[in-house]
Amino acid sequence: MKMQILQRTSCAALVTASLTLPVFAAEQDVNTDIGTLDQQTAEKAFPAKPPYSPYAGRNFPTRPFFGDTHTHTSFSMDAGAFGARLGPKDAYRFAKGEEVVASSGQRAKLSRPLDFLVVTDHSDGMGFFPQLMSADPTLLATPQGRKWYDEINSGKGAQAAIDIITSFGKGQLPKGFPTPGTPAYRSAWRETIKAAEEANDPGRFTAFIGYEWTSNAGGNNLHRNVIWRDNGAKASLVEPFTTQPPLGSPNPRDLWKWMAMCEEKTGAEILALAHNGNLSNGRMFPIVESFTGKRIDREYAENRTRWEPLYEATQIKGDGETHPFLSPNDEFANFERWDKGNLDLTELKKPEMLEFEYVRSALKNGLKMEAELGVNPYKFGLVGSTDAHTGLAAVEEDNFFGKTSSSEPSAERATHPFVKTDKAVIMGWEQTASGYAAVWATENTREAIFDAMKRRETYATTGPRMIVRFFGGWDFEASDAANRMPAKIGYTKGVPMGGDLSNAPNGKSPTFLVAALKDPIGANLDRIQVIKGWLGNDGQTQERIYDVAVSGDRKIGADGRSKTPVGNTVDVANATWTNTIGAGEMITVWKDPDFDPALRAFYYVRVIEIPTPRWTAYDAKYFGVAMPKEAPMTTTERAYTSPIWYTP
Amino acid sequence: MLREPLFQFLVLGTALFGLFHLVDKKKAEAPERIVISSARIANLADGFARTWQRPPGREELQGLVDDYIRDEVFYREGRAAGLDRDDVIIRRRVRQKMEFFAEDASTPDPTEDQLAAYLQSNPERFKTEYHLTFRQVFLSATRRADTIDRDSKQVATALAGADAAVDTTTLGDPFLLGEEFKAVSQHEMAGVFGDGFAKRLSVMEPGRWQGPISSSFGRHFVYVSERIPGSLPPLDAVREAVRREWSNARRLEAEQKLYASLRQRYEIVVETPPSKSAQVETSR
Repeated sequence: MKMQILQRTSCAALVTASLTLPVFAAEQDVNTDIGTLDQQTAEKAFPAKPPYSPYAGRNFPTRPFFGDTHTHTSFSMDAGAFGARLGPKDAYRFAKGEEVVASSGQRAKLSRPLDFLVVTDHSDGMGFFPQLMSADPTLLATPQGRKWYDEINSGKGAQAAIDIITSFGKGQLPKGFPTPGTPAYRSAWRETIKAAEEANDPGRFTAFIGYEWTSNAGGNNLHRNVIWRDNGAKASLVEPFTTQPPLGSPNPRDLWKWMAMCEEKTGAEILALAHNGNLSNGRMFPIVESFTGKRIDREYAENRTRWEPLYEATQIKGDGETHPFLSPNDEFANFERWDKGNLDLTELKKPEMLEFEYVRSALKNGLKMEAELGVNPYKFGLVGSTDAHTGLAAVEEDNFFGKTSSSEPSAERATHPFVKTDKAVIMGWEQTASGYAAVWATENTREAIFDAMKRRETYATTGPRMIVRFFGGWDFEASDAANRMPAKIGYTKGVPMGGDLSNAPNGKSPTFLVAALKDPIGANLDRIQVIKGWLGNDGQTQERIYDVAVSGDRKIGADGRSKTPVGNTVDVANATWTNTIGAGEMITVWKDPDFDPALRAFYYVRVIEIPTPRWTAYDAKYFGVAMPKEAPMTTTERAYTSPIWYTP
Repeated sequence: MLREPLFQFLVLGTALFGLFHLVDKKKAEAPERIVISSARIANLADGFARTWQRPPGREELQGLVDDYIRDEVFYREGRAAGLDRDDVIIRRRVRQKMEFFAEDASTPDPTEDQLAAYLQSNPERFKTEYHLTFRQVFLSATRRADTIDRDSKQVATALAGADAAVDTTTLGDPFLLGEEFKAVSQHEMAGVFGDGFAKRLSVMEPGRWQGPISSSFGRHFVYVSERIPGSLPPLDAVREAVRREWSNARRLEAEQKLYASLRQRYEIVVETPPSKSAQVETSR
């Protein structure tokens, strides 16, 4: 029995590796006798005597690539209205580490280059701002168009922008908006593709082609980013799917139809990832669909899980892991929460909406729906991204260029309202300097990164580039944490983040190899946690947090928790901290102490950094201004991995 | 000024004159016609097909045509009413089109010689980074908080005079990304270990154990086995990149030239605004 299981897990690792490695292709073809085949394959990959070259046979990803799946430029209508002047080309240059002049006239540069970037301008009205009225004076003949025009001309661009976004959310855009098929639209899409093609540099920097489908029915955020695996030749065979009828639709089911059509007709491979459930007012991860009022069905579940392998869990408009209302026992849950209302604050939040907005509760409901429908609609991996509307994917706390060009660094940006309606207000200081996507790909190319995204071997960070490993299997032992090649042992004995476990061997509980390394220029780590969610026999979902590694001499109690905080070295006035607390690295093997093989479950890892100055502290120091007393001045950056699922 | 009766009169008069003139001329030509050519219809259908990957149905096509006509009517009337004048956005857009025009006009295909010359005169843009293959023995600052200095000396002694074949499995601590790194570039090293580490490593000679180098993780002893120097690749290997950079340079140059030549035609007068600000806006 044990031998079989070992073989099975080795096989899982090999299949993962073989996705990108032609060497294994031949073995993969033979698929009849699992036992024999695995033995052979395993021996070839990890023979008793290692090959002379220590690098031979190493086919798994050896380092994560950091990037942003979500940057807007002046091609996005709202970004343009807020004053963004940088286009897709500039966005890619900036991500590659070059210095650019931001729209506000300030010089901007990243601390180090990103490995990849997707420019995702809104498909509705793509190129709207650069092309706006020259293409369509009809706009001026509408009261709305006239009003925006006057506002922009009298220096109230920001006001116009908010109005544009609000009108968009209500589906009240005037005629004359650039739509697919018009020359204006086509040229914007071509420019977008061209910029990605020029910036793409396989092996060094990956520039994906993509766009954002900005479904905003009733001001409720159902946005998705769409990403191509392929090059411009295929992407230019279509034009993006929009949300405004008659060409487009705000219903995600129609987006999935369009994606299926796009793949079928052009031979491209694409995926979509949603974001900001926190601003969807209960509609991002529905059990009852907002468009029909009916319970989601198997078709919904199949399509969602097919087309949306990832979810953007953290970004500038707030963090979406969980909420104190949903996770009252989680002392780290109250982090950068945007929970006042929907995207444009036209409708206030009600507590009962939260369950359908956040990652953790969605993963839990996914288990419930899987039991009901046979397919888990919410089986997604996690990434973070910026959603910057400046062309600048800059979300480090000391180098934060804000959500929009009007919130690029200035003495006033924190105290200006970010969104304000008669119902509520979100202040500038509430913007979150977050996040990036980390992808365990075998190389830095469109194909390898895309494939890793599809298999969900990803994690989200709120900005720092900590390295996080997470493997699950049945046979990890404490000594594996001391192995000199943690990755090799991880892939050999288990599946990586995003993977699946099933067929629990008799009497065994899942074991996990968990490790994290701090950002080389960042703060130490406070702790690593495993977060478990499961579906009980009573049909109710549960969650539990386990501290699996903590820094220093702190102890983890019998309840799996270490309630002693790590401490705090932040000097807010000077916006500094020291790495005199916390740990630079952590690695451990953890076994689920409460495993029931009959119950569906998921496990994901949360890594917490020691407290560091929040961007508001850097702003206060640089500009010599006082922040409002309700503005947090420290933060605890973190990473969330994709889950590993257990299915009975 | 805008409220001056004379001014208003003049504006109105000019507008009326213009309108009559326009209408007159139109009368002489033909009644207002909007022709939706079959090419245009094909174009609209094409746009629909690009989104939906199927041709539009009858009603859908009719809708597209109706919408186009509506656009055209308002567009003509709007322009006739002068709604396009004094409009910042339209001005910017027209400027952009001019610049695009310059861009298009400026990018014929470069010759072989031009590309070769560009590569030679801008080597820093195309030079490949050097790559290193190395092994490390890692001492974790987290695990050895109090003993790292002493342990570091011991490891230094153990590795003194050792070669690549030395067994390092009992020395130091595991590192999450492993102990062997193959053909990594300086920017990859900086990404993993930090900038300082990458700089120190960049000057190390291959063929012996050296260190310790400090990083924010701890201390590293390093054996560089291979150093692949950076070089200027032949044109064939970087042709696309050179072409792109060459075109970009030409575009900027052409844009600047176009602007300079057009600007020459104008006498430019910048008045000092009567405000408290002494700063004079420069015209661009």
